Amino acid sequence: MSRPRPIGILRAALVLLGKDLLIEWRTRARLNALVFFALSTLLLFSFALGPDTKLLERNAGGYLWLAILFASTLSLGESFRIEYENACMDGLRLAPADARAIFLSKAVGNTLLLVLLGSLLIPVMVALYGVKVVLGVGELMATLVLGCMALAAPGSVYAAIANNARARDVLLPLLLFPLIVPALLAATKAMALVLQGDPMDQLGSWFGLLGGFNLIYWGLGFLLFPRVIED
Amino acid sequence: MGKFFRMALPPIALGLLAVGHYIGLFVAPPDREMGDVQRIMYAHVPAVWVALVGLTLNFICSVTYLFKQSWKTDSLAEASAEVGLMFGAVGVLLGAIWGKPTWGVYWTWDPRLTTAAIMLVTYMGYMALRRFVEDPEKRATWSSVVGIISAVNLPIIWFSVKWWRSLHQVQSSPKTVDPEMVVPLRVSAFAFLAFMILFIIHRYRIAQYERQLEVALPEALPGDGAGANRTAGAA
Amino acid sequence: MSSLSSLVVLAQAAAGEVGSGRIQGGWGFVWVSYGITWGALALYSLSLWIRRPKNSPVGPKE
Repeated sequence: MSRPRPIGILRAALVLLGKDLLIEWRTRARLNALVFFALSTLLLFSFALGPDTKLLERNAGGYLWLAILFASTLSLGESFRIEYENACMDGLRLAPADARAIFLSKAVGNTLLLVLLGSLLIPVMVALYGVKVVLGVGELMATLVLGCMALAAPGSVYAAIANNARARDVLLPLLLFPLIVPALLAATKAMALVLQGDPMDQLGSWFGLLGGFNLIYWGLGFLLFPRVIED
Repeated sequence: MGKFFRMALPPIALGLLAVGHYIGLFVAPPDREMGDVQRIMYAHVPAVWVALVGLTLNFICSVTYLFKQSWKTDSLAEASAEVGLMFGAVGVLLGAIWGKPTWGVYWTWDPRLTTAAIMLVTYMGYMALRRFVEDPEKRATWSSVVGIISAVNLPIIWFSVKWWRSLHQVQSSPKTVDPEMVVPLRVSAFAFLAFMILFIIHRYRIAQYERQLEVALPEALPGDGAGANRTAGAA
Repeated sequence: MSSLSSLVVLAQAAAGEVGSGRIQGGWGFVWVSYGITWGALALYSLSLWIRRPKNSPVGPKE
């Protein structure tokens, strides 16, 4: 089989991404479920941690990222389940699409979904925890996008694996959570700075860390994903 | 050859351990600041060193497997992960015990400890993955992928004390450690290394045996034709 | 002159009261640690023994 040129991979990825987004848009079931789940998570945090508003305000970024993380375990698994029903994955593999295009489309699609979820949660977070966005919207969105990318890339690889194993619902979080701890830390710190101000100009270094993780995990995912779905 | 190692290593390992720990416990001087509590070093440091060596071996096997499928490589990956994880758990536990009298706390979220904790949970996940996948070939391939991704954390653990301000001290080397402490540390390190090799050899044989039971037919060998003369499990 | 020698006497007395700056004792921690180490090595060896291949494996040379 001839190796596809890079432009072939990107175009294939876009087509696959379009397909996934179209399916999402037509049903919207997954997005709705995710939003409700993440909203309840945010609420639960405020109930569980009590009415100390100072505490909630200080840690709001952390709660937001935890809500996104928990929701991601649902959404990542879903993104592959639809392929395995009706053996769509076999159809994808038979089509001339390079497996790496499948990875790109899944990872980008999951990123977009998580970013959308995060964007919907931010006003809720502002209302529930009484925070303000001190730095600009640009920094806010950059933090959100970088963090969601860091979740989606390894998450897509592991979701493809976990879906075919026993105890798939346990396996995905078990594999993914330790892996993304450093990225989660960086994203939470960055979000805290965005919400509370950054007098010592540290945001750049947290972005650097997140950028580094993204480089490594997107690169590894791109290289290794074909081995995960090959037969 | 393997039989020689299996016969010779246990007494070597036990001997080195006895010597190293005897010197460490009763002969080496107490630390200037930490006193006798510092003697934990002769168990904690070798344990963590050996864990990192074992897990690095797992990384090498994972990469190797993706290039050339072989049950031997897969079994070695399984063995090195389990042994590395065991030593890592002991090492982190000992570190926590050492931390109580010296830092005042059993645990703190500094870079070295955080990445070490991540390592433990990561490789527990690796072992869980191996247990939850039934198809041996898929298990080997996916374990290799997860092994490679998990190994990204290992250099971060190692260099964390150099890159960031950490409560944990920097790497021990003969330049930074008192000469009277270098001897028991080195001997203990070799003892732990001998135990690691011994454990990996035996765990490898267990894994190969399990592969044989699973992969009873020669046709099922990866990348191999049906060789009726070959016994199952040979790669 | 005598003030200097009395200062020296005072200094020496004070030095005796300052601790050596070192953690005293702690052997309990040491024994627990070594116990865990040796115990873990023994238990893991035991687990390898229990799981050992039942019959001599056919074929694979190491």
